[in-house]
Amino acid sequence: MNKLQSEKDYESVRDQVKKERDPERLLVSICAGSGCGAYGTEEVREALEKEISKNGLKRKVEVKVTGCHGFCEQGPIMVIHPEGTFYPKVKPGDIPEIVAETIVNGKVIKSKLYKDPVSKKRIAKEEDIPFYKGQHRIVFGNNGMIDPTKIDDYIAVDGYSALVKVLFSMSSEEVISAIKESGLRGRGGGGFPTGIKWETCRKAHGDIRYVMCNADEGDPGAYMDRSLLEGNPHSVLEGMIIGAYAIGSHDGFIYVRNEYPLAVKNIGIAIKQAEEYGLLGKNILGSGFDFTVKISRGGGAFICGESTALMRSLEGQVGRPRAKYIHTVDKGYRDSPSTLNNVETWANVPIIINKGAEWYASLGTERSKGTKVFSLVGKVRNTGLVEVPMGASLRTIIFDIGGGIPKKRKFKAVQTGGPSGGCIPEDLLDLPVDYQRLAEVGSIMGSGGMIVMDQDTCMVDVARYFLEFLQEESCGQCVPCREGIKRLLEILTDICAGNGREGDMELLEELSGTVSKLSLCALGGTAPNPVLSTIRYFRKEYEAHIYDKKCPSGVCKELFYYEIDEKKCNGCHICCLRCPQEAISGEKKKVHTIDQEKCIKCSICYESCKVDAVAIK
Amino acid sequence: MITFTLNGKQVEAEEGSTILEVAQDYNVKIPTLCNHKALEPAGLCRLCTVELFDGRRTRFVTACNYPVWEDMEVKTHSEDVIGHRKMIVELLLARCPNNEFVKGLAAEFGVEAPRFKLGDDDCVLCGLCVRMCAERMGVSAISMTGRGTDMRVETPFQVKSDICQVCGACESVCPTGRIDVRKIAKYEPRPLVSDWDVGLKERGAIYMPFPQAVPLAAVIDSEACAHIRTGNCGVCKEFCEAGAIDLDQKEEIIEVEVGSIILATGYDLMDTTPMKQYGYGVYPNVFTSLEFERLSNATGPTGGNILMRNGNGELTRPPESVAILHCIGSRDENYHKYCSRVCCMYALKYAHLIKEKVGHKTPVYNFYIDLRCFGKGYEEFYRRCQEEGTIFIRGRPSEITDQALTPKEEGKLIVIGEDTLMNRPCRVAVDMVVLCAAMEARKDTAEVARIFGIIQGADGFFSEQHPKLAPLNTAMGGIFLAGACQGPKDIPDTVAQASGAAARALELAIRGTVEIPSTIAWIDPDVCEGCMTCIKVCDYSAIEFDQQRGVSVVNQTLCNGCGSCVSNCPSKAAHVWQFSEGQILTEFDGIMEGLQAVGM
Repeated sequence: MNKLQSEKDYESVRDQVKKERDPERLLVSICAGSGCGAYGTEEVREALEKEISKNGLKRKVEVKVTGCHGFCEQGPIMVIHPEGTFYPKVKPGDIPEIVAETIVNGKVIKSKLYKDPVSKKRIAKEEDIPFYKGQHRIVFGNNGMIDPTKIDDYIAVDGYSALVKVLFSMSSEEVISAIKESGLRGRGGGGFPTGIKWETCRKAHGDIRYVMCNADEGDPGAYMDRSLLEGNPHSVLEGMIIGAYAIGSHDGFIYVRNEYPLAVKNIGIAIKQAEEYGLLGKNILGSGFDFTVKISRGGGAFICGESTALMRSLEGQVGRPRAKYIHTVDKGYRDSPSTLNNVETWANVPIIINKGAEWYASLGTERSKGTKVFSLVGKVRNTGLVEVPMGASLRTIIFDIGGGIPKKRKFKAVQTGGPSGGCIPEDLLDLPVDYQRLAEVGSIMGSGGMIVMDQDTCMVDVARYFLEFLQEESCGQCVPCREGIKRLLEILTDICAGNGREGDMELLEELSGTVSKLSLCALGGTAPNPVLSTIRYFRKEYEAHIYDKKCPSGVCKELFYYEIDEKKCNGCHICCLRCPQEAISGEKKKVHTIDQEKCIKCSICYESCKVDAVAIK
Repeated sequence: MITFTLNGKQVEAEEGSTILEVAQDYNVKIPTLCNHKALEPAGLCRLCTVELFDGRRTRFVTACNYPVWEDMEVKTHSEDVIGHRKMIVELLLARCPNNEFVKGLAAEFGVEAPRFKLGDDDCVLCGLCVRMCAERMGVSAISMTGRGTDMRVETPFQVKSDICQVCGACESVCPTGRIDVRKIAKYEPRPLVSDWDVGLKERGAIYMPFPQAVPLAAVIDSEACAHIRTGNCGVCKEFCEAGAIDLDQKEEIIEVEVGSIILATGYDLMDTTPMKQYGYGVYPNVFTSLEFERLSNATGPTGGNILMRNGNGELTRPPESVAILHCIGSRDENYHKYCSRVCCMYALKYAHLIKEKVGHKTPVYNFYIDLRCFGKGYEEFYRRCQEEGTIFIRGRPSEITDQALTPKEEGKLIVIGEDTLMNRPCRVAVDMVVLCAAMEARKDTAEVARIFGIIQGADGFFSEQHPKLAPLNTAMGGIFLAGACQGPKDIPDTVAQASGAAARALELAIRGTVEIPSTIAWIDPDVCEGCMTCIKVCDYSAIEFDQQRGVSVVNQTLCNGCGSCVSNCPSKAAHVWQFSEGQILTEFDGIMEGLQAVGM
């Protein structure tokens, strides 16, 4: 491949790639994102390719292994184009039938279709599934069409056209003002206006400027950035090149955690291919603009997602934050002006350039524009990555797209923004999700983690769990964060173990105030959010733990016991069979009893009872 | 200049300064813990947190590293700030409840018992040691390892560091006393000891030589100073408010032309370590006279309290009894035959001081050969000491040992000797022994003598020209002697001799000219062969060689007319004026005529 030397070269390659693609041709797209991959995409792909060649369909059918489609709950996912037939949870054994029926005969296999858990109906097409229907996938939409290891796939969906537009028809200032007008704000958590960040960096003193991509996604349960880098790495790369052009930078870094091997691999391939095409490196597309990108693999410390810690880590030092009284856009990596944006932010940039700032600004709320990808996990039916316009309500995300809470349990709370986000209760479910509104209710947007909790979740235990995570991940430099989180956790652990004392809640609140206000960086600054928000919305649970020594949700083992309700028990004997401690006794069709001495409160009986006879006392 | 509000008052500050710096300028005290003048502010302890109103909202920032800007409003002691600071201190106290420094800090903030579970640490992780080692010493032998609650100050892999230069800077900045350089460094620290206090006290690499030094200014030990050795550190500069420290100063040699020189180079105290029988350097409570001098001095290491060493070598408790041994190395066939002249009197002074300071009942034993109290008022002082109860035993002890023969001698030093007046052997058990070591010529006497062209006597001290007629002069014209460099001397004698030497020097200076004797040597250049024999034999370095003419020439101001050159000159070119052959013969003729005239 010769390097592309001009705008024309790019256009001819793009037209060539598009011409080669017949929209009517059969295309089987299999998701190989981390979720589906874990469910066994590789075996499905092998079986499919074998079956296709066995049937002599190789010329007729194209198999595309793509990045994450988002609906991870249903993996491995297979979509057959051009019809858009959607098969969830595909197993290698299903392949012969799918090839014979759907690919050869064009018929839909009804029994293998997705069954909506709410309406109980089978749905054939991807776009009709409520999980996708409720979304607005501008960033994630192309994932299903692209093999992330092939740059041509990205070019085929007009990839790099934004870069061409920027390089040949826009000045740096015009790019910055477009980003400013779009209202794009940092998707990593801080929500700082991206355009202003770029502008400040461009104007900062210094000859060398750096742009960086923060792919150190560390929130438990969040994997938006991972899926983007794995599934559509070129969109991130294109965003970075545009950013570098706007800022006047020639060196870029992608700081990605080494725990994301596929992301590291795919972004590495993407950089190599872009360099081969002349879209990266010296004299990009003959425009005279130079930009190179290096990958730096992080060791996985949560704190390295903090901008100053990330830059120190890049410099080869221990990843510990510094005070940001002098901003990184003035003095960042190696004391040079540096712009750091997260993966999703960069991926939004080409979209803004292509579709226009005005169009982008029309999405979302007054002060939060565009869409946001959430990682919807926890006690929700449709686990996966969800992209919605800013301002969508929590109810829309959790119930319309997420399908609500499984097993007839009741919704209790949702935690947004990762471990240091707050827990939002049921009566705030209609809250439109944007930066301001989340902050108002004591939580944060964060990078988009969304953990749904049901009635069986103990909120004191949740706060304890997240504080435990934060204690582990605190860098330990400053006193309030290191000592404060330790003490918060100590008190919470005591409460959960039944050793709570009067005044604990007040002490938690007082200490939380110091930790949040005095900590050096945002980790400490936001760490008390889980404590404060749970005290604010679930005070009664704390009181039950401290004064009544009871855990109403049946989580804190010292504070409850299981009992079988005589009126409900039908003597099915399942609990008795499943109890690992042999603590349950009773004859079939007669009421069973639990031996409290033997019971270890593992909750197996509670989970397995079909008639809800096992009660938490 | 930047104007902003500090605690409701308008203040001015230079751009780039921090809130803490400005507050210090305006005498507003903000507490700090991890801040140090010589280090970059780190903002880790958060104790210096202040409240900042930026026009929109109130924030909390650390004063140590927050740069001031126009129109900001800072409150250093608002209710919230004080509450948060107290919480920080409470957290630290819970971490280190047994550490004296942290307890003191808590008391300062009015924090009593922490409401949290008590830990047992003695490090507050302020990072001062680590930053000092990295920023100022350029070494980074220690660092903050681990994350979060596992964070500790350690060497890499907890292995004793071989890059640690054992400078002790970490130890010196540690507020809690947790840092022990011995646990960090692979090598044993070499303590810097004060020469002035004869090794009884440690000192820094920068120190005052002694309290009466003129000029009274600090000096830097160039062999110990980390800056001079490595180019790093320089912390002293940050602390000197007068800005007097110039670390770039270099040693220089200054040439001064003078008319005369007075040598007053002093003496050395004899090293008594080789005299094994006295156990100096073996038994910790055997002291030399100079060490005892510092022990009893008000500016000394113990502030004038006479104390003896404990098992760890620390000076802790006063002795219950003391023996003072005279003539150690003096009047001794094996060492110095001469009398050191001053020991008798200072030994009496010590006896008197022990009685005064330790207690009148403290037994003090003086082992002497003869008591030579010859000066004005000296004999009277001797009498007084006798009356005070000092025990005088005539006889030089043969040995000092710790081998007890009786339970009473256990743990004591036993002085074994002979009481020659009573004609019987004696053993005296004491807590402390003072050795009155001999005064001897300085080790560099020979070198100095060579430089100045003067000579040493048999005892090693500089020789005067004539013991009675020219006690201040040396054989070299214009070079005079003063003090103990010429021989053992006490202070009154030294002052007297020094005054005389000064007068001699002034005598030359005031006249401005030098009178030379008429009987000095002359070398006839027409006869001289240039063999330089005369130069080798001249004791006064008075003959130089003229390279151009190839002959020896006499420096007339230095020549003493001794005639050595004349008698040694192989070509008979050297003469002494007034002593030519013709002159002597004519003189002889005159004598003969005289004799004839009187009829002999």
